[in-house]
Amino acid sequence: MKIALFGRRLLAAAVFAAMPLATHAQVLTVVTSFPKDLTEVYKKAFEQRNPGVKVEVLNKGTSAGVAYVREAPATNKPDIFWASAPDAFEVLAKDKLLQKYEGKNPAVPAKIGSYPVNDPEGYYYGQALAGYGLMWNTRYMKANKLPEPREWADLTKPAYFGHVAVSSPSRSGTTHLTVETILQGEGWARGWAQMLQIAGNSAAITERSFGVPDGVNNGQFGIGLVIDFFGLSAKASGFPVEFVYPSVTAIVPANIGLIANAKNAELGKKFIAFSLSQEGQELLLDPKISRLPVLPAVYAKAPKDYPNPFTGKIKAKVNFDSDLSEARYYVVSSIFDQTITFRHKELVAATKAIHDATAKLHGKNNAQAQKLLTEARELAFSPIVGEEKAKDKEFLALFRDTKRNAEKTKQITGLEEYWNSLARKNYARAAELAGQAAALAR
Amino acid sequence: MSIVTSDIGAPQRRGAHTRGYTPAQLAVALLIAAFLLVFLIVPVGTVIFVAFAEPGGGLTLSHFESFFHISLMRESFWNSLYVALMSVVFATIIAVPLAYFTVRFRFRGALLIQTLGVLPLIMPPFVGAVAMQLIFGRSGSVNLLLQDAFGISLPLMDGLNGVIFVEALHYFPFILMNLVVALSNVDSAMEESAQNLGASGSRLFRRIVFPLAMPGYVAGASLVFVKVFDDLGTPLVLNVTNMLAPQAYLRITSVGIEDPVGYVISVLMIAFSLFALWASALALKGRDYATLQRGGSSLAKRSLGPLQTVFAYAWIIFVLLVVLTPHLGILLLSFAKVWSFSVLPDAYTLQHYGTIVQDSPMMIWNTVLYCGLAALIDVILGTAIAYLILRTRLPFRRALDFLASAALAIPGVVLAIGYLRTFRGVELPFTDGELLTSSWLLLVIAYAVRRLPYALRSCMAALQQLHVSLEEAAENLGATKQRTVTRIVVPLMAGGMLAGFVTSFMTAAVELSATIMLTTSQSAAPMSYGIYLYMQSAAGRGPGAALGVLAVLLVALGTYLSHRFLRSRAVDLDRQL
Amino acid sequence: MNKVSLEARNIAMSYGKNVVLKDINLVIGPGEFFALLGPSGSGKSTLLRLIAGFNAAQSGQLLIDGHDVSNVPPWRRNVGMVFQNYALWPHMTVRQNVAFGLEERKLPKAQIDAKVRAALELVGLADYAARRPSQLSGGQQQRVALARTIAIEPQVLLLDEPLSNLDAKLRVQMRTELRSLQRKLGITTIFVTHDQEEAMTTADRIAVMDQGVIQQIGTPMALYDEPVNRFVANFVGSINLVRGRIEPAANGRATFRCPVFGALDVPDGTLRSGDAEIAIRPHAMALSRTREGTRQTWAEGLIAEREFLGEFVRYTVKAGETLFIADQAHYKGCAVYAPGDVVQLGLDPALARVLPAADADAREAHAH
Repeated sequence: MKIALFGRRLLAAAVFAAMPLATHAQVLTVVTSFPKDLTEVYKKAFEQRNPGVKVEVLNKGTSAGVAYVREAPATNKPDIFWASAPDAFEVLAKDKLLQKYEGKNPAVPAKIGSYPVNDPEGYYYGQALAGYGLMWNTRYMKANKLPEPREWADLTKPAYFGHVAVSSPSRSGTTHLTVETILQGEGWARGWAQMLQIAGNSAAITERSFGVPDGVNNGQFGIGLVIDFFGLSAKASGFPVEFVYPSVTAIVPANIGLIANAKNAELGKKFIAFSLSQEGQELLLDPKISRLPVLPAVYAKAPKDYPNPFTGKIKAKVNFDSDLSEARYYVVSSIFDQTITFRHKELVAATKAIHDATAKLHGKNNAQAQKLLTEARELAFSPIVGEEKAKDKEFLALFRDTKRNAEKTKQITGLEEYWNSLARKNYARAAELAGQAAALAR
Repeated sequence: MSIVTSDIGAPQRRGAHTRGYTPAQLAVALLIAAFLLVFLIVPVGTVIFVAFAEPGGGLTLSHFESFFHISLMRESFWNSLYVALMSVVFATIIAVPLAYFTVRFRFRGALLIQTLGVLPLIMPPFVGAVAMQLIFGRSGSVNLLLQDAFGISLPLMDGLNGVIFVEALHYFPFILMNLVVALSNVDSAMEESAQNLGASGSRLFRRIVFPLAMPGYVAGASLVFVKVFDDLGTPLVLNVTNMLAPQAYLRITSVGIEDPVGYVISVLMIAFSLFALWASALALKGRDYATLQRGGSSLAKRSLGPLQTVFAYAWIIFVLLVVLTPHLGILLLSFAKVWSFSVLPDAYTLQHYGTIVQDSPMMIWNTVLYCGLAALIDVILGTAIAYLILRTRLPFRRALDFLASAALAIPGVVLAIGYLRTFRGVELPFTDGELLTSSWLLLVIAYAVRRLPYALRSCMAALQQLHVSLEEAAENLGATKQRTVTRIVVPLMAGGMLAGFVTSFMTAAVELSATIMLTTSQSAAPMSYGIYLYMQSAAGRGPGAALGVLAVLLVALGTYLSHRFLRSRAVDLDRQL
Repeated sequence: MNKVSLEARNIAMSYGKNVVLKDINLVIGPGEFFALLGPSGSGKSTLLRLIAGFNAAQSGQLLIDGHDVSNVPPWRRNVGMVFQNYALWPHMTVRQNVAFGLEERKLPKAQIDAKVRAALELVGLADYAARRPSQLSGGQQQRVALARTIAIEPQVLLLDEPLSNLDAKLRVQMRTELRSLQRKLGITTIFVTHDQEEAMTTADRIAVMDQGVIQQIGTPMALYDEPVNRFVANFVGSINLVRGRIEPAANGRATFRCPVFGALDVPDGTLRSGDAEIAIRPHAMALSRTREGTRQTWAEGLIAEREFLGEFVRYTVKAGETLFIADQAHYKGCAVYAPGDVVQLGLDPALARVLPAADADAREAHAH
């Protein structure tokens, strides 16, 4: 009868365990895409300052978080939404899932660069700043004798072939922001050319955004395109990594917002206020977190080399246009997947052939070979969709509409299949042309 | 781990009443049926229905059409199939020689092989995957050494390769164990008669011995296929999302519970599980070759020749080393300060264990609580169902057995999706509007339902060994049916029940598929979710690994206890007879 | 078919300290049907498996057709064996089972087909070639096993308890068939059995084994009439054993003294004196109300039990302190005794056989 006894004890234990949850009235529920390293610090700090309050953290991917908030029943909405991607907040605000209220910290500047820190309509507030950049593993670089990169364009160089890692915008919101930043900073055609060359130099297109910093941290990849705190926090945690902001970057806020019909709205406001306060902002400097505070005064307490976006040290040439980003969100993702993610093998082969031919032609004057090589580059590194088409409202609308019927699905799939096969053909042809060019150089 | 419903003999009881069951038994049966209906049939039925439902009502195949229109889905579909099949292939390559050595030869290595059969199973694949990345990955220890020595590197952990590698290494014991049992049940006369007729060597093995053990192999292989096909944690941890299980998870959590594609994936996953189980049942049907005949004996064991010794030990040690790497890797990682682009970590620390003791004791407690409750439910249901099946003549007792066993074919992701959809908006009674879908209770139920088949097999086996006369004697001496059950049946079944409890507990403790979908808040999260969560950040790798080590220890302890208990139990039974 | 002889010379075998075969010497003639008879654990199956090559002797030689095969592996011996449980491979059809050995010998396909057909026809199962073993009855399985073995035309045919898995009626039928098949093929055959009736009805000669030792070799009748020791006497048929003392006399005769019958004049060639036993078959015992026969020596007894077996009645008679079995042929109107009747028990010394002294802890005076 040991089992029965054990069972009774377990049952009793279960009742005990359930009790505090059931009786506690003051529970603040936070939906967030941030890692445990960050949330744990805030949870502890807030609970300490507010005895009797329990912070319940729900870790969700950004889009999973949006879905969760949307699907939670009206009587039982979580209180806070806290994530990086501005688009997610725009979607929530548009769907009236966020609660407008005046709660900003007046000490926080209104703009970073030309980008508003807080939502002009007051649905959400910038809580930290994030820029995009390059992160590399110093040991890896040393072992492979690679120079440290400074700009996105550096990564297109043959030296970095096989050492880079990027994620796909369709799988990760932050990667989407990175790609969009490059597209906005360099322009559609140049931006894609750069992106395609970087992807051609990449060892992998990881399936999740964290796959890039993770791979750089453990030395699987040499260099990764990442959001700044991935690089900074890894460095602060002792990993042999470095991080730089290239000049073509944008600084955008990571936001926090109160969810409409929040069960504990007052507590939620208190939490937001805390997160924007001097104390709350200082927590961002925790080495495990390493994010850029929105409160300029906090940087005084930062370690020496901590990047400060308010001093202009980070060049942040790009004034991020989130409307444009949102308008072509699906198009960019889809082009990236069809021509890069799914055709990565062929793209890498073409890139390698072009690198080889370039090396062989170096210092030689062979006009025909140069012509072939230029043609190969054109084929491999041009966007599959022209800039004009990318601005076409109807074209964008086709992808943007989330309510897809069978007709539209067919249309989209048809296009995607066309891009896909065209990309494959182009890459194959490019590799062939580059091969011919290399042969001529002999 | 046989997955085929055991043959249920006719009840041995010849009660005076013609119905063959009491009203109380009927009530218990109805309660169990209701439980399974609500928590298994309806949710799974809902998933299947939604996959075929037209938005305006009516049935349609259009969701399937659009599924196959999305290239990512097509890719995921083929990738899942490819990974599952290749995992079976590699698991086979590892397991077949080991099984052959065990059965064929008299040597000490057999003990090592037995250990090999348990070691991988105590390491949840998604935990092992992280360590494998560090050791076999692109710049992992092995490749760094290879680079140094030969200038080559093996793409062992790149993309799908990594998933296949991890899964094959984790699940090969299923093939090994099934094959060893099947091979050792091959009657030596089968082999001898072939020798007598002129066959020898590998030809003998190929034509006679292996075909006879085939059903055992198929049972193991199909189990591996199903498990790999279902696994969500490993691909997620390895950053591979272009497979069906991760896609189902991502679609449902990010696109939303209404997204029909998630349901289509679910239906496909059920279909493949069923297919694999059906194939194995078919392979076993009417081919229960591998049973020793009366007066028969197992295959003769030989001593190894010198060359064979070298090969056998080389293979065993190689497999042992590879099998141990995730264990070693996760242990190193849990003590590592920084481990990056180096063969071993730079420096060691105990800090990660401090972190989890400080941050996550709740998760450990949650695991104990949830898995304990789930295992308790399983044992209670398992005992009750076993009793109803073996000791009564309830008209629908076979249906009950079938229902309880059906959970085998339902992937964790699918069950979770079914729960989220079926119970959305359902509030828990006696709470302040707390939702069932955000309560940990649902996690407990999911664990219980998914593990019920194993616990049931355990309880059935225990009850089958129990001669009915022991109960009749109790009744003869004046005990009622209920008293007989509590005073005679349950105590005598305790061994089987405990085995069922431990199996359920351990497998639930390291399951991630349903966990990741049904866990909502951090404070209610079990360890498996905690490990996954920690692994999402650079600083969390150490604590995640430390938590992983604890999980491995917990499972190892459970395995050890259940083995020990079962062995002493077997001795008891022997003595009794 | 070339008939071959088989000879075992001084074969000994043990598993560790456990001796399973001791000094086995055996000569089996070409075409002979030879039985190894003994209780379980007597070493008879071990010897058979040794002949097949599955066991190896520590010492001694095994000669088939005059060649030492001790070091030839089973698959090269060309000794066909039918296993006790038939060992039909369930994953193959009847045809495939029978063809297996021929395929291993790499015969041309046409020849294999012909031989398989012939073998199946021989056992009367030509129509069952496409079936699986599980679809056959026990008797049919046994025939397939036989067909599979004789298809390879072995030099020696070994049968390991071939009839033990069949029901009683089928067993009688099969043993006749086995016998006639063996005659037809003329193949040297050794078969192992623990059933003395089976051995006696089928075999040309029998070796009785116990505890790894061949106790006696001989024709069935010789074994029955002239068992060399108590074990053989007991194992082959039922027998009464009477303990007493022997005193040798001249001309191959001796005087045997026992408490029940007093002095008996018995045939015995050993001319040794000392403790001894005489063995006498139950049906050689006379039973009568009066002491009417002259050849017998009589003693008074009491009917203790009666079993009616149709052809005869088996009486257990208590004479003095000893129990005797006396089988009396039964026919209508013959004398019948009931338990409790006082009868005269007659023993004809000419039908008795003197055995060496039994172990001190001798068994019951009678056994089956």
